[in-house]
Amino acid sequence: MATTRILEGLGRLYIWLLLAFLYLPIIIMALMSFNVSPFYQLPFEWTTEWYAALWQNDQLIAATWNSIEIAVITTLICTVLGSAASLALYRYDFRGKKFLQALLFPPIAIPWLITGTAMLIFFFGVGIGRGLFAILLGHVALALPYVIVVVSARLQTFAPELEEAARSLGANQWQVTSRVTLPWIMPGVIAGGLFAFAVSFDQFVVSYFLSTPGQTTLPVEIYAAIRKGFTPEINAVSTIIIVVSMALMLLTARFFKFGGEK
Amino acid sequence: MAGVQVSNVSRSFGAHKALDDVSIDFADGGFYALLGPSGSGKTTLLRQIAGFDFPDSGRIAIGGESVERVPVEKRRIGMVFQNYALFPNMSVADNVAFGLSVRGEPKATTATEVQRALDLVQLSKLGGRRPHQLSGGQRQRVALARAIVTKPRVLLLDEPLGALDKALRVDMQIELKRIQREIGITTIFVTHDQEEALTMSDRIGILRDGRLVQEGPPEEIYDRPQSEFAATFLGDANIFRGDATGDGIRLSDGTAIAAGAGAKLTAGARASCAVRPERIQISTGAGRSDAGGANVLNGQVSKRIFAGSNSTYFVDRDGQTLKVIIQNTGAERLAEGQDVVLRWSPESTVLIAAV
Amino acid sequence: MAAQGATATRSGLRSALPLLAPAYLWLTVAIFLPLSAMVFFSFMTELSLSGKPWAFTLGNYAAFFSQSLYLTLLLASLRLGLEVTLWCIVIGYPAAYVLAKVLKGRSREAIFLLVILPFWSNGLVRIFSWAMVLREGGILDTALNAVLPFKINIDLMYSYPAVIIGLVHSYVPYMVLTCYLTLQAIDDSLIEAGRSLGATRLQVLKRIIIPLSMPGLVAGAALIFVPVVGSFMEPRILGGRTGTFYGTVIEDQFVAVFNWPLGAALSFILLAVVLVILAVASPVLRRAA
Repeated sequence: MATTRILEGLGRLYIWLLLAFLYLPIIIMALMSFNVSPFYQLPFEWTTEWYAALWQNDQLIAATWNSIEIAVITTLICTVLGSAASLALYRYDFRGKKFLQALLFPPIAIPWLITGTAMLIFFFGVGIGRGLFAILLGHVALALPYVIVVVSARLQTFAPELEEAARSLGANQWQVTSRVTLPWIMPGVIAGGLFAFAVSFDQFVVSYFLSTPGQTTLPVEIYAAIRKGFTPEINAVSTIIIVVSMALMLLTARFFKFGGEK
Repeated sequence: MAGVQVSNVSRSFGAHKALDDVSIDFADGGFYALLGPSGSGKTTLLRQIAGFDFPDSGRIAIGGESVERVPVEKRRIGMVFQNYALFPNMSVADNVAFGLSVRGEPKATTATEVQRALDLVQLSKLGGRRPHQLSGGQRQRVALARAIVTKPRVLLLDEPLGALDKALRVDMQIELKRIQREIGITTIFVTHDQEEALTMSDRIGILRDGRLVQEGPPEEIYDRPQSEFAATFLGDANIFRGDATGDGIRLSDGTAIAAGAGAKLTAGARASCAVRPERIQISTGAGRSDAGGANVLNGQVSKRIFAGSNSTYFVDRDGQTLKVIIQNTGAERLAEGQDVVLRWSPESTVLIAAV
Repeated sequence: MAAQGATATRSGLRSALPLLAPAYLWLTVAIFLPLSAMVFFSFMTELSLSGKPWAFTLGNYAAFFSQSLYLTLLLASLRLGLEVTLWCIVIGYPAAYVLAKVLKGRSREAIFLLVILPFWSNGLVRIFSWAMVLREGGILDTALNAVLPFKINIDLMYSYPAVIIGLVHSYVPYMVLTCYLTLQAIDDSLIEAGRSLGATRLQVLKRIIIPLSMPGLVAGAALIFVPVVGSFMEPRILGGRTGTFYGTVIEDQFVAVFNWPLGAALSFILLAVVLVILAVASPVLRRAA
């Protein structure tokens, strides 16, 4: 028993070390964004001047708005299209259904480098070209499989008898969907939507290949800035991004767990 | 209210014949049980009547109107599901109100109807609860109230008591029967529990492999089974096989068994006789032909199972094990290994044609 | 059987199509057609849109096989993928085990969430955060020199180890996630049964736990290996001049050299490698799912 306790203690310690590995760089970056020295020199002196400087950076602000706009539109499109597709895959049986479900995995599994360059070539070839519209096209396609997977997982916990019961009580297809099915899958839809937002808002690779100098998103802008040289401003905006995306995922986790277990 | 006529209904899933030319007439206001082992087609039949699935061929009529191509939401039926299928996102009252509300009934009448239905199932005060706050028996009542509040033409129950424990199930059987009598609705009830079928229904239909084996009042099926399957599936039976003699059968060792009930068969045909275990008397001592013309067999007790109010004896006789159930009246109990005489009247013996 | 009947009546692509079509059309336009177009482009001499005459050629693929640079870089990327995957297993599996079998209740949920949370935050920014830690005069350097009695110079920035550290940091949550899911599914009574039969902890680990959690390990490995082989942003930021890999060469074809047909060919070769890996792992992956 004593060995068990020692091993368990070591295990706990190990987890905390892993968490330190995962979070320390992020925490340091956040701290440095409040440090006076632009060369990250210690000792630490508090300032918010880098955040103030962000307000003056029109390019960054424009890119931020683009990112938010695209993420919001992506979320809306993905939740509607994704929920509809999930419902169809749940409700109906047909030849090729397995194939359609399998088709959801390439967009998730293929490296974004390949998807991104392929989109660039194709959008150029058919005249869509690069820019915000192309980025939106790409983001929706990347996020859609996640939404379908998340909503489908929620649907797995839905008893088909509930739809049958509603029909036996005289409800038509639309009434069944809107009054019985949708309320049940709503946590899944919300989680899927948050997922879609995160995928789009954090997306760098695909946006990178599809953006043009005027039409770009925040991560692409940050990458360009990093390659020009580090500045505390990048720290500041990076800190904001990471806080936003982690908050989003915490929210998603709340919804999805609520959805998955009850 | 209306009766239901099922005529020559067949339904296949791929190569599997789930229903094979089934015809049953469910009279208006009756309480029917569809009984059968799993895979017998009883649930498939119920789903055809409900309209969740359509037959490949045959006709289904509710109240004289052909409905075999009418989808479930237009059939005006009420259904209670095995797991109740209460909508988890709605209160009890909203669950019950659902059927009225989807057809656009005014709020005021809906509220009155819902309250009346909840009163009927004795849940007047629980309208504000959520389904997950209810016990199994209460959920069952809500499901029932929800199914009948729309005044359906027929009430369909798919193993509605299967998820309840034994004591609660007996209560609910009585309750269900009371409510059914009170509103007088034609009720079709799927179960695999023979006792439930016997105690609750006016008529029973026994299904096997997609076919209707026998249909009639419980007493008739129990006392006059028309097949070995019906005899052994509904209750217990000892089966003897032999050749028909005109008033019974002759076993391969020459013993004659007289049968006073069942099929009329020409002499020489293959046939069997069924005897219920509780109809057989058991006694010690040597056997001889009885003056009263009763059937008599000698055997040896191989096992006794004590079950409180009665005991079951397994008696070996010429390679066959017979089952005899005796009420425990306080008389002497027979020991295992003891030689015994079995006696029963021809009236308790049902002659069945071999398949 | 009953359920089969229910779906049979309402079955059919016809009812499903209106609901499915928008999503799948979108995926076709934005994923599947582009991937097909990439294959097509990889056999062209010039980008047809540039106005210059073009023809079909195998030259782009010939370039890959004739110039040892591309093959060397692909091998370097594969090696990078392998190393990162191994580190992720070494670091992630024990963590997943502790999460699944040692921690209980709310603290388990909370820590699990903390471990996978960074995975869903911005990858670019997380890579960037390492720059502050690894550079000379950075946090690691300063911290170590403050503790150690002697002077050392830590400048891992723009080195191969920096790329490894950054990528492991990026992908280790994935390994924890997949291993945790399979480890959690192992009934504790199996472990107790093993112990009761006289097996030591190590034997239980080797003969019961690891084999049963294999699907999670393989899933995690595939899901890490594939994107790492195609990574380009991480080596660029943390590797500097040493950070030239297969992914960065593809990036160059599209954003610097503008030889799209060659880029398409290189991308397609990478896709082929990826598909082979996924195909090999897919039976195990399916079991894990």
